[in-house]
Amino acid sequence: MLLDPALLLQTALSGILLGAVYALLAGGLNLIFGVMRIINVAHADLMMLGAYNTFWLFSLWGVNPLLGLLGGMPVLFALGWGLQRFLVSRVVRASELTSLLLTFGISIVIVNVGLYAFTGDFRSVAYLSGSIVVRGMALSKVRLVAFAVALAITVAVFLFLRWHPWGRAIRATSQHADLALACGIDVDLVRLGTFGLAAALAGAAGSLISMMYSIYPEMGAFFLLKSFAIIILGGRGSFPGAFVGALILGLIESFTALWTTATHAEAAAYVTLILMLLLKPSGLLGEEE
Amino acid sequence: MTGLRVLGVAAALAALLLPAGAPAYLLGVGLQLFMYATLAGSWNVISGFTGYTSFGHVAFFGIGAYTAAILITRLGMAWPWAALAGGAMALLLGLPVGAICLRLKGPYFAIAMLGFAESLRLLATLWTSLTKGGTGITLPPIQTLVPTYYAMLACAAAVLALNYWIATSSFGLRLLSIREDERGAEAIGINTTTHKIAAFALSTVFPGIVGGVYSQYITYIDPSSVFLALITVQTIIMTILGGAGTVLGPVLGATAISVVQEVLWARFPHVHQGLLGALIIFVILFLPGGVVEVLKERRILPRVRSI
Repeated sequence: MLLDPALLLQTALSGILLGAVYALLAGGLNLIFGVMRIINVAHADLMMLGAYNTFWLFSLWGVNPLLGLLGGMPVLFALGWGLQRFLVSRVVRASELTSLLLTFGISIVIVNVGLYAFTGDFRSVAYLSGSIVVRGMALSKVRLVAFAVALAITVAVFLFLRWHPWGRAIRATSQHADLALACGIDVDLVRLGTFGLAAALAGAAGSLISMMYSIYPEMGAFFLLKSFAIIILGGRGSFPGAFVGALILGLIESFTALWTTATHAEAAAYVTLILMLLLKPSGLLGEEE
Repeated sequence: MTGLRVLGVAAALAALLLPAGAPAYLLGVGLQLFMYATLAGSWNVISGFTGYTSFGHVAFFGIGAYTAAILITRLGMAWPWAALAGGAMALLLGLPVGAICLRLKGPYFAIAMLGFAESLRLLATLWTSLTKGGTGITLPPIQTLVPTYYAMLACAAAVLALNYWIATSSFGLRLLSIREDERGAEAIGINTTTHKIAAFALSTVFPGIVGGVYSQYITYIDPSSVFLALITVQTIIMTILGGAGTVLGPVLGATAISVVQEVLWARFPHVHQGLLGALIIFVILFLPGGVVEVLKERRILPRVRSI
């Protein structure tokens, strides 16, 4: 029964659907890491804010979650910009651990502001229930929509990074900040924009997650470890790498859940993280340091 | 310097004599203070002196708590032995983990340790035959707090002595050289791997012991209460507020935060944790060396390594 082809295919598909949403989250984390060599521990808490933004718009005024997502992105962009401008920029040149502890502090503040403002209750956005049945496989509608949106945003960001002058400035800074500066790129501005963009992507991921799972202010920790596992899988600082890593983690999780239990699936992310750190810390697509 | 000695002796006497007259409530406060002083001081060994920031220090606390709880409830072992066994188990499990994770640098070490602590929390949840999973373990009630209090005090004192020894020994100097420039340390002939692993091992034992003491004090443990990430958060903020890589920093930080928490913050739980976060940001931006460094710069404390 556990090796039934239709079931296996359904599990694989749901893993990929989930992975695309993870990719949005981890992609932003990786952009920040690439440009500043900073691991933003507060990244998944920005995602939590995006999730609550969608939830409140939906439950108070019945705003469609996808519109909520679009509305939330500029707000998160501004928040990310502000965090970079007033806090993170002060430690960019300090040791990696300084920025790690700083963003750790930011994370604690955001989570507790969330607990204070929203309470610790579990909430969810009841949007698009039901599923589509294709050849005996049931695919949840909301996950298909989330997948499509996540994929569209990921492709848009990828194209932006590839072709747009600003995107190329981000990649140049990521490759070598000093040389980028020497070529006339305003590196500080690139960092502000990158942090903003990453926060907006996290917010979008949060909106999509609020449609699929219960949300609560402390949800970030859970997703932060997942995104670490993803960027270690896919390679640090690489946006496409995060996409590949996210799909792999989505697959690992959904197959673990199929063959064991949901709690084991949660552990799968940690085990993957630790194994990758030990076996190939540069990631599958990353460059050796 | 004499004024400082007088202060130190007075604090030690007060800690030793507290059970003679104080109400149980104060003993409880003191006990938690010593527990945190132990956690902070032991974190300081690997993260303060050696520069390998760990985000999973609570792992060893949890291992100790579970080891002691299982030994006490299954084998009826006396709690002091069970707590010591907790320390031994933390060392035993910590050594291989350290040997592997210390190959990672900077943030990757921090995250691997976070993953380690979270994996243990899940393991304690899933391994129900041993740990009773999410139901938790209930321990026999305790009659008096005094022995528990002295056990915590002894751990805090031992960790303080350990920090003093590290700060004043050539071993500690070599740890500092790893923190400042690991490749340089290697180049001058220091075996950085064995030094890092030794520092890591030293930082695992005492959290394990206090974890064991804590489980018999609190009489009920479950995976989310003894593998609580907040314990790591508190440990880190106490150490960096006091001064990471100093001898007195962790004790001062643990004292300051425990007292303020007891007096003020415990009444506003989320505000309190949020303030802890804000405090981390403040210390990182404005007091990167911690209070002890500031006092040394202002010549209020002598500028010696043994403080």
